[in-house]
Formats: sequence, C-alpha cells, structure tokens
Amino acid sequence: MELSDANLQTLTEYLKKTLDPDPAIRRPAEKFLESVEGSQNYPLLLLTLLEKSQENVIKVCASVTFKNYIKRNWRIVGILVEDEPNKICESDRIAIKANIVPLMLSSPEQIQKQLSDAISIIGREDFPQKWPDLLTEMVNRFQSGDFHVINGVLRTAHSLFKRYRHEFKSNELWTEIKLVLDAFALPLTNLFKATIELCSTHANDASALKVLFSSLILIAKLFYSLNFQDLPEFFEDNMETWMTNFHSLLTLDNKLLQTDDEEEAGLLELLKSQICDNAALYAQKYDEEFQPYLPRFVTAIWNLLVTTGQEVKYDLLVSNAIQFLASVCERPHYKHLFEDQNTLTSICEKVIVPNMEFRAADEEAFEDNSEEYIRRDLEGSDIDTRRRAACDLVRGLCKFFEGPVTGIFSGYVNSMLQEYAKNPSVNWKHKDAAIYLVTSLASKAQTQKHGITQANELVNLTEFFVNHIQPDLKSASVNEFPVLKADGIKYIMIFRNQVPKEQLLVSIPLLINHLQAESIVVHTYAAHALERLFTMRGTNNTTLITAGEMAPFVEVLLTNLFKALTLPGSSENEYIMKAIMRSFSLLQESIIPYIPSVITQLTQKLLAVSKNPSKPHFNHYMFESICLSIRITCKANPDAVGSFEEALFMVFTEILQNDVQEFIPYVFQVMSLLLEMHKNEIPSSYMALFPHLLQPVLWERTGNIPPLVRLLQAYLERGANTIASAAADKIPGLLGVFQKLIASKANDHQGFYLLNSIIEHMPPESVDQYRKQIFILLFQRLQNSKTTKFIKSFLVFINLYCIKYGALALQEIFDSIQPKMFGMVLEKIIIPEIQKVSGQVEKKICAVGITKILTECPPMMDTEYTKLWTPLLQALIGLFELPEDDTIPDEEHFIDIEDTPGYQTAFSQLAFAGKKEHDPVGQMVNNPRIHLAQSLHKLSTACPGRVPSMLSTSLNAEALQYLQGYLQAASVTLL
Amino acid sequence: MPVVNEHSVRMKKFKNKGKDAATLRRQRVEVNIELRKAKKDEQILKRRSISFSLMDESPSLGEEKRNEIIQLSLEEIVEAVNGSNTELQLQATQATRRMLSRQKNPPISQIIELGIIPRLAEFLTRADNAPLQFEAAWALTNIASGTSDHTKAVVEGGAIPAFISLLSSPHMHISEQAVWALGNIAGDGPLYRDALINCNVIPPLLALVSPVTPVGFLRNITWTLSNLCRNKNPCPPLDAVKKMLPVLICLMEHEDKEIISDSCWAVSYLTDGSNDRIQIVVDTGILPRLVELMASLELIIVTPALRAIGNVVTGTDEQTQAAIDAGVLAVLPHLLQHAKPTIQKEAAWALSNIAAGPCRQIQQLITCGLLPPLVELLDKGDFKAQKEAVWAVANFTTGGTVEQVVELVQAGVLKPLLNLLLAKDSKTILVILDTISNFFLTAEKLGETERLCLLVEELDGLEKIEALQIHENNMVYRAALNIIERYFSGEENPDLEPGTGQDGLYDFSVEKHNFDF
Repeated sequence: MELSDANLQTLTEYLKKTLDPDPAIRRPAEKFLESVEGSQNYPLLLLTLLEKSQENVIKVCASVTFKNYIKRNWRIVGILVEDEPNKICESDRIAIKANIVPLMLSSPEQIQKQLSDAISIIGREDFPQKWPDLLTEMVNRFQSGDFHVINGVLRTAHSLFKRYRHEFKSNELWTEIKLVLDAFALPLTNLFKATIELCSTHANDASALKVLFSSLILIAKLFYSLNFQDLPEFFEDNMETWMTNFHSLLTLDNKLLQTDDEEEAGLLELLKSQICDNAALYAQKYDEEFQPYLPRFVTAIWNLLVTTGQEVKYDLLVSNAIQFLASVCERPHYKHLFEDQNTLTSICEKVIVPNMEFRAADEEAFEDNSEEYIRRDLEGSDIDTRRRAACDLVRGLCKFFEGPVTGIFSGYVNSMLQEYAKNPSVNWKHKDAAIYLVTSLASKAQTQKHGITQANELVNLTEFFVNHIQPDLKSASVNEFPVLKADGIKYIMIFRNQVPKEQLLVSIPLLINHLQAESIVVHTYAAHALERLFTMRGTNNTTLITAGEMAPFVEVLLTNLFKALTLPGSSENEYIMKAIMRSFSLLQESIIPYIPSVITQLTQKLLAVSKNPSKPHFNHYMFESICLSIRITCKANPDAVGSFEEALFMVFTEILQNDVQEFIPYVFQVMSLLLEMHKNEIPSSYMALFPHLLQPVLWERTGNIPPLVRLLQAYLERGANTIASAAADKIPGLLGVFQKLIASKANDHQGFYLLNSIIEHMPPESVDQYRKQIFILLFQRLQNSKTTKFIKSFLVFINLYCIKYGALALQEIFDSIQPKMFGMVLEKIIIPEIQKVSGQVEKKICAVGITKILTECPPMMDTEYTKLWTPLLQALIGLFELPEDDTIPDEEHFIDIEDTPGYQTAFSQLAFAGKKEHDPVGQMVNNPRIHLAQSLHKLSTACPGRVPSMLSTSLNAEALQYLQGYLQAASVTLL
Repeated sequence: MPVVNEHSVRMKKFKNKGKDAATLRRQRVEVNIELRKAKKDEQILKRRSISFSLMDESPSLGEEKRNEIIQLSLEEIVEAVNGSNTELQLQATQATRRMLSRQKNPPISQIIELGIIPRLAEFLTRADNAPLQFEAAWALTNIASGTSDHTKAVVEGGAIPAFISLLSSPHMHISEQAVWALGNIAGDGPLYRDALINCNVIPPLLALVSPVTPVGFLRNITWTLSNLCRNKNPCPPLDAVKKMLPVLICLMEHEDKEIISDSCWAVSYLTDGSNDRIQIVVDTGILPRLVELMASLELIIVTPALRAIGNVVTGTDEQTQAAIDAGVLAVLPHLLQHAKPTIQKEAAWALSNIAAGPCRQIQQLITCGLLPPLVELLDKGDFKAQKEAVWAVANFTTGGTVEQVVELVQAGVLKPLLNLLLAKDSKTILVILDTISNFFLTAEKLGETERLCLLVEELDGLEKIEALQIHENNMVYRAALNIIERYFSGEENPDLEPGTGQDGLYDFSVEKHNFDF
C-alpha cells in the first residue's frame, strides 16, 4: 500500500463503514481492514488520517483502529511461530516510533488518549533498548510550557512506568528504572517546582488551575512509581524539595478547585489522596530516611481530616488519610506523636467519631440497596469505607493506648446515648454511632464462623448488651428504628461468644420475632443471627443451644422463617434459607410434625426458583434443607420415603426435562439419598429413569459427574440384580460411562468408583463377557498416560477384583490378555507402587487382595512368578508399616487433580446428602495383619517348609521382625 | 544489598519442598544495578591524603616564610618537573602535592593533563632524594584516589613497580606513603588488584607488619591488605589469599578498632564467594573471633564481622554448622534488635540462611531463642529487615519439621507475617503467600486446616489475601487465588475438563494392544 491520496480515500471509506450500525455493511469493512493490515504503510496511512482527515469522526475512528492494531500486532510472539508472523515491517515500526510522540502531543484529548495507550504498548516491548530517544523526546516537551502537551507526556510516562509498582526486582527492570531516573528525575523535579510556582501565579484562574492540578496529580503518581522499587539516590538527595512541596499541597485549599459534585472526587481530593499514598510509601519502606519529615505529615494529615467534610467525594481521601495514621501510630518509634492525652482525645473526637457516623448515603443503602449494605456491613467488604478506616485506626491506637482510648470513648458513648435518650426519634443516629464505637473498640479479632474471638477487656459487653441492646429488641414494634434493630441484632451476632448463654437464650425469641420485620436488613440479620447461634459449640462437641431449649419456639421459629421468605425482597434470601437448614439440623425430630407443611413449601419454592435459578447459595441451602427433611423423617419412619418421592419426583422430572443445569447435580444427590433409604429391591420408578442416566449429554457436564456416579452406585447397590435381569442391554452403556470417565485424567477416579460398584454388586455372569475388555482398557490407560492418581485407583480395583473373584482368576485373566502379564503387573506396578495407596479402607482392600495373591494363587508358588513372592510380601509389610509415599513425579505437579480420590465417592456437595463410608471387606476381614498371618499359616500347612525357606532367603530383617509380630499376635506358626 | 538467585530458588521450592535446602541459601550476589545511594557503612575504596594545616591550604596567610612555601603556576610546575634542577623538582612536586591535598576540588584532572605523571613516577625511584620521593609518592597517592581514569593515569605512568620498591624504603614515612598509594590502586578493581599481586606486592607489604609497627602505619597496611582481598569477577588469586590470611587473622587480634574493622572487612570479602573460598577462611579457625567481634559495641567492627559471618552461612551445611558452633546464634538476637536498620537487615539475612539449613540447624535456632526476636523484627523492624525476616520464615517453613513449624506458629509469627501482606513489594508478598501455603501443608498433616483457616481470618489475613486476588502482578494474584480456592472456598466445585462422547449411549469397546509398563 502506498501512501497515496487514493489509498487514504479508500481507507476513509472503509473506516466509515466500520461505524455503520448495519452488520451487513460493517462486518465486510472490518474484514477488509483486517485483511490489509499486514501491508506495508497501513499504520502510516492510519496515522495520516487521524492527523489530517477533514472529518473528526474519521480521526477518532482511525486513532482507535490504530491503537487496536498496535495492541494486536506490535508484539512479536516468536520468530518460529508460523501462524503469528510479524505483521509490521521494520520501516513502519521505525516511522511509527519517530512520529507518534509529536503526533500524540498535538492531537486533541480524545485522540491523545488513544495514542498515549499505543505508545505505552509499544514502549512495553521496545523501551528502552529499541526506543532510546523516547525519553529525551518526552523530557524536551517539558520545556514547551504548554500544559496540554505536558500532560500528554506525563500521562504517557505514567502508563509506561506504573508497572514498576508491581513487578519483581530484576537486573533488567532496574536497568530500565535507572535509565529513566537518569533522564527523567531531574526534569520531573523541575517541572514539579515550576508547576507549583504557576499554581500560585494563577491562583485566581480556575481553568489554568485545573490543568495545573491535573499535572500535579500525574507528577505525584509518577513519583510513586519511580520510588516504588527502592529509594533512588536522586530522590533521596531531593527529598527536601519533594516532601516540603507535598506537605504544603496537603494543606492547600483553593475555593476555585472545590467542586459542587457531592459524589465525584475533585482534583484537589485526588491530589491529596495520592500524596497520602506517597507519604505512606516512604513511611513504610524508607523509614530511616523519611523520619525527619514524618511528624509534619502526621500533623498535616490529621488537620486535613479534621477539616474535611462528610461528602462521599472525600471518601477515598479520608480513608487513605486515616489508614496512613493507623499505620504510623502502631510503630513503636512514633508512639510519642500520639501519646499526649490531648492528641488522643482530639483524634478520637475529630477524626474517629465523625467518620463513624451513619451518613445519608448509608441510610439510602440501608433502605434501597439492602443487599449491598448487608454485604458491606456483615461480610466485611468495606475495606475502603470511612467507617472501616476509622475502625482500623481505633485498633491501631489500642496497640499502645488501649486504656486511654477506651476511657475517652466511654465518655463519648455515654454522651451519645444520653443524646439519644433525650429524643430517640430525632437522635437515633447517635445511638447507632455509640454501638458502632463500642463494637470497634471491643473487637480485637473476628471470624465469620465465630464472630469476635478476642475482645477488649476494658469494655463490659454484657452490661452494654443488657442496658442498651436488649431494650431496643424488646420494644413492641419490630419496625421502629430499623437501623438500631439491625445494630442490636448484629451486636448479638458478633459478640455471641462474649455474652453469657442465658442472655443469648433471652435473645432467641426476640430474634425470632424480628424475622417478621419489614426491613430486609432487619429480618435478614435476625435469620443470620439465629443461624450463627445455632452453630455455636457447647461442651462435649454438642451445640451450645440444645433442641430441648428450643422446644417452646419450634413452631413460631419455623412459621416466621418461612413467612420471612414471603416478605418483599426476600423471596430468595440466602440467609433465611440457611437459617432454615440450620434450624432443621438443630431441632432434628422435633420438626417431624411440621414436615408435611414444610416439604410443601420447599417444593413450591423449588418449583418457583427452578424457572430461573439466580441465587446459588439460596438454592444450595434449599436442597440441604430438603435432604435434612428426608433424613430426619425417614430415620424415625423409613416408610415415609415414599411420600417424599411423591412430593418431589414431579418437580424433579420437570427439572430434568427442562434441563435446569444448575439443579441437576442436586437432584441426583437427593435421588441417591432417597434410593439409599429403600431397604428392598429398587422401585420401578427408578428403573424407568435408568437408561436416561446413561445419556452422554449428562456426562458431558463436569458438574454432573460426581453426583451421577454416586447415583449409579446407589442403583448398583440396591438394584444390581434388577439391572442384570431387566436391563442387561444397558450394561454396555454403563460400561461405556466407565470408559468415558477412565479416559480423562481428571475423572478417572470417578470411573473407578463406578467400576468398583459394578464388580462388587453385579452378578458375575452378567459382566463375564466384558471383564477382559475392562482390563485391556485399564492397561491401555496405564501404558499411555500413567498418573499417580490412576495407579492408586487401579491398585485398589485389582485387589478388590482379587477379593471378589479370587487370586487365580486375576492371574488367569491377566495372562490371557498377554503372556506373563501378571508377573509384569506385579513387578512393575504393584510392588513398587503399593506404598502410594492412601485411605484406611483402600489400604485394607489392597492388603487383603495381596494376601490372597500370596497365599491362594498356586502359580505364585511354582512358576517363574515365585521369585516375586518375597518382594510382594515385603511390599505388603511395607504397606502396613511404612509411612505413605506421597511423592508425586515432577511433571504431574501441575495437573488439575481433584482432591485425593478415595474408594468412596468423595463428592459431597450437599453435606446432608452425605453417604456412610462403605467397607466392602469389613465383614470378611477385621485385622488385615492377623489375616495375613493366618493365611500364611494356612499356606504353610498346605506345603510345609516352603514358606519359611522363602522368608529366610530374601525377606529383609526388619520386615521379618514385623511379620513375626503378626504371627505372634495371631498365635500361629509357619510350618 | 543481598540479592538472591531467587528464581531458581523458588523453582526448587515448588518442586522438591524441603528436599534441597542448600539451594535456599541466598548468596550475596554482585549487584549490577543499584538505585540507592552508595551505602555509608561500606568500607572506603580509595582515600586521599588531605592536608589539614591552614598553611598548606592558604599559603597567603603570612607564615609562609618560615615554611618556605612557594606558589607556582601550572606552567612553572611542568617546566620544573621536567627540568633537571633537583631543588626546583622538589619545589614543583611539593606544590603539586599541595594542590592535590586541598580539602575541596583538588585539580586532579588538570594535573594529569600536564603530562607529568611519568616524571613523578620516576621521582619515586630517586633513593638519593628522600624528600622528592615522599612528595611524589604523596602526589601520586592523591591522584590515584580519584576516579578510575585517574588511577589509570598513575598506573600507566609506571608507578606500580616503583611503589612496590618503596615498600622497602628505609624511611618509614615513605614506605607508609607507598602502602597508601598501593591501597588506592588495589581499590580500583580486580584488574589493578591482580596487577599488583602479579608484581609481587604481598611479601614486602606483609614484611612491614611487625610488633613494633606504629598503629597509624598498621592501619594503612591493613586497609591496603583489605583492598587486595576485595572485589569479585574474578576473586583474588587463591595463593595470594593464602599468604594474606594468617596476617589478617593476627591483625584481627589487635586492640585498635580501625585495624580490627579493616581486617574484618578483608575477611568479609574473602568469604563473599564460592564455598571453597569460604572453606579457606573457616579452616583458619577464625570464626569464634568473628562472632566475638559481632558482639562488639563499635559499629565499624560489628558491620564487617556480621558481614563475614553472614557470608559464611551462605555456604554448605557444614560451614554453617561451623558458624553455629562458633556461637553465632547467641549473638544474633541482639543484632536483630540493633538500633541500626542495616545491622538488623544483615542479621536477618544471616538468620534466613541458617533457617535454610537442615532441620537440626533449625532446631538449634529454636533452642537458642531466635524465634521471639525474629517475630519481633517481623512486627516492628525496618522494612529492609522485615523483608529478610520474611525470607527467614519462608525458609524455616520449607525445611522445618512439622513440630518446628508448629513452634514457629506458637511464637506468634502469623500476625506480623500476615500484616506484611500490605507491604509495597511484590516479591515479599509472594514469598509470604508461599509461606502461608507451607503453613497450610503442615496444618493438613496435623488435621488442623480448619483451625489455621480461622486463625488466618482472625488475624485479618483472609481479607488481605482476598484483596491480593486483584493484584497487578500475575504470580501474586495466582498465589492468592490458589490459597483462597484451596482453603477458603468450601462450596465450590473444581472445574474439570469435559471429554467427548458419541451419539446414543456410550459405546464400550476396546482394541487390544501390547503392553509393557
């Protein structure tokens, strides 16, 4: 492509078409541009257009297209990658670098931003080696005096340098920084000084000030980036200049820079906020050098806080400033800056208390955006808020001054409570602040699970609870002063471990009552508080609050919980649903009388939300609650399982038919639970579903695999005979599922769960014709992609097979696949790898299986396999006595592995649908060591003399000693 | 500043946790790039001899007659130096020396440009004219004290052999001046250092050390020796080191603190290298003395002694054990709490290398009570020292036994460690996250994962780790994400890759292959 007018014209037309709303016009144009972007001069044509086009829209479009082009193509991935050739020829690269900086600087802001981005993308690749004059070119522009140009340079510099803030130290990085410092630090410092001068000469010119302050913000940001990795010599030498000016900027105010906007931070706020960050950086990293300046900054920042208003636009500045004080006040050598009683009082009074106040914005959130409010207040996603910063400052100050601070605040709390008492309806916010203050003062450590775990001993939490929290919750109206109700409930929740149990018991009916409150926050908090109280541990690992203590409240609790789900805004409230689950779990059989109504309400809910599942936590707890209803009821009355099936199967069918993907794994788990409740042969309703469960589409979704495997295992446990007789034609499909799972490194253990169940439960003749194929498949996998997880599962399986079909059958089937196969598996797999098997049941299966191979397999005694007999015994003793071998070969380290596979389906997404551990050899063998001893004894009786001679020739002394121990324990001797 | 071969260290940690502790030791690697000011507590490389007397500096004050000070222009100097009048030669050389001894802005470059250096070097050989020898030696000393180019001018002027001969001068003040000049030349870098060694500087230099050598002279000799030990790439030749070491060890027993300091610096340079170099020092049996000196109250002694011991513990387990046997663990607690941040940092660095050792050394570290000061440092130390303390904890958790790691937790390490997740340094954050993973691995072995989760949350660690999930540095955010996913997200399913299937039910079929495992 030549740089000709004709080409410019063509390009203009195509660019215009890319803006067309009609895809039929837009798409081909985009395609065309993509097809020509590899041509020489293409980027230069774009640059020409963005500079010279008559139409502004084309200029902007060309600049965006150019930036995206650079983004896609500048980086040369690697010369050897064939499908990613270098699309930008060297001469274009040189031309772009030569022209882009002046072009960017002379462009209007909209285009400047695009070009600035493009420069930083290019810079990331080429700077500094392949773009040596970039810095000088930029620095020269500082002289221009045109702040539009200067800001363009600063912005570009910022996007080039900001990576210094997060990259690891390396020689390469530091070489670049050093180069930047040498060229940039002095001009930047001079620019900083000059800009500050100009600010005072233009102190009355609002538009000039705006431009100048934008520059100062960028300069302050550059300072942060350039000083991040280490304190550069230049900045250490010029600390006086920078810090003195930063300090005076912190104290500066100019009416012209104040904005009317309440929400959006203005230039002044942004600058001061960045200066706080800069000071914090120095205080943290370069304390030794910064010490002389620090006290000045503490004072300035503290004054700043005292004089800054409550508007939202100051939030970032205020929280940054408070965090600065919080980080400084806990350093031992700055303790003295705070220890004066007047200082402390003033910080408490003027910095902490005002920032803890409930503001209009909080009130709005409480009412209109309760979900967000709850998340911030309850779950601690409040890191950048003022309240949180104030709280951190309280905790920081308490490190050295717990006594005085507590004293000062006690005074405040009392006076605020008095204010409230005078006129509650006007002054309720005072009480809110008082509660917040007590909370932040008292809490030293907190977790979601346990609430406050360490409290300030100087605060009497119970007294405050009885005098100031309970009265609010006892008041007749649950809807009065909702914020204070929420505060009170939260107080119970977080101090549940500090308040004595009898007070908690008094609170329970109050909390149940507040489930009816109209305010979403209030009834949500009530539900959450109840749920937390029900999970508290008492002595002997029982719950603190017992089902007996709850007896008087069961009906009202359940009624109010389900009613709360009908309140506006709470139809899918996860806190309420979790409280329902927890209540069931606590109350156990006392809920049985209410089950008919409960299960109706739950199924209705399920039907309603399955139309559009949107709250994963809510849904999860709903299914947990269903599982609990089933377990609790069927434990008392096993026949009740039918009525649950009746109530649930209709909804389940609908979920399966409509393919509600989110719910299908849950449905399978509930069905597994129901099926396992049956004592007799599998009902026909389940059998009808069986072929559908083998549909590949279900197995394509990874989330289905664990629950489906579990469900098929339940089918096999309860219905193996029915399957063999009535659905024999589905056995290949069932094995197909196994084959599918075994092919995947991630799911192979699930395949083994299924296979183990097939081997354990299916009548042998029904799978006879497939057995050889099964082993071939496993050997293939072993050959092609052996992983530790696979080997562990494989070992468990062949030993289970050996237990079920006998050692001889195992040897025969192996050797029928390939001669001497059995010996190869013993030598290459079982003996060296058996140590890796983990899990008690799994180890036991292997022990019993290997014992059988040793003692019930004639070829082990009188063929070439005999040489493996002692090593196998030695490996078995190792399995008993040596620690588990948990080494994983290097290359496997990064494979995505689900948690350690167990013999049992480990998947228990629904905790209350959980399955008991199953031990297929439990009845046969109690103690596998004794079993080994007895089996060896039997063998030695059959062929006297052989066993002791094999032992004495090659078993090592330690193993022999262990073995003798087993023999002794079993009271047998070897003949 | 100790820089680390961090990448390979970390890879080791990922793959063979605890298996290759020796590679966790972090050598003091030559830093090519430094952003900071040259450190004030480093030993001085080159020194100029300055005249403090007012008369020398301001000859116009009026007392010149008594001292017969003569001011000459540069032209006159050139002429006189190149002339054959010995009297004038002396005057001119003296004038030159005086200019070079001014406290401020000595005109070194101008003097070099006069082209008189070869001539001054020649004056060094005038055994018949001691005053001229002395003045020339002094002038050349000061020229050599400048930049590398300045030193080069002296060397190229042919001064090295002359100075070495002067070491054996019958006049003590001349041989002392020669020692000084040679020190400046040696301090320039490995090239000239080895040039001196090749000219056999060491025997006559060592011959000057005797019980009757005055302290001031001995200081100069020690300093010059230390410069002959200094610098890497390459390190000084082994046979030279072996010649100097016995003398340095004697000097370390001297009572003068500057002599002790410089001999410690010398040893610190000799230990700053490969393990076989460390071994040479260890074999001299000097470690107990070094440890004793680490406990000195003089900063100029503590700094190099600590530096030397710090280097020794980067060595093999046996070398580290030698330092432990010499008592280093008894001294470190005080140094970790030293008022000077750089001492805290060096001490923590040494500690981190001891913690990288086998678990029996970690045990000694516990027994000697190092955990409380380590935790204290992590909590309240200077940031430079905190960073090293983080490495110490990281190494400890990598190589320590379950019981030892538990002991570390009980010492209260978690709170300050988690607080440092707010550090403004990506590397430190990453090391902490890896350390947290190590703690969890230990907790898993004990079945205490749940408790550790709660503890981390209680100490406000959880929200800090959560916040790091949006960190700009990829490795940091992945490490944070990994911890959250592994230990703090109870209800999520692992997202596994799906396979492919066919129409209808799955088809169960296999083909037979030949197997060989």
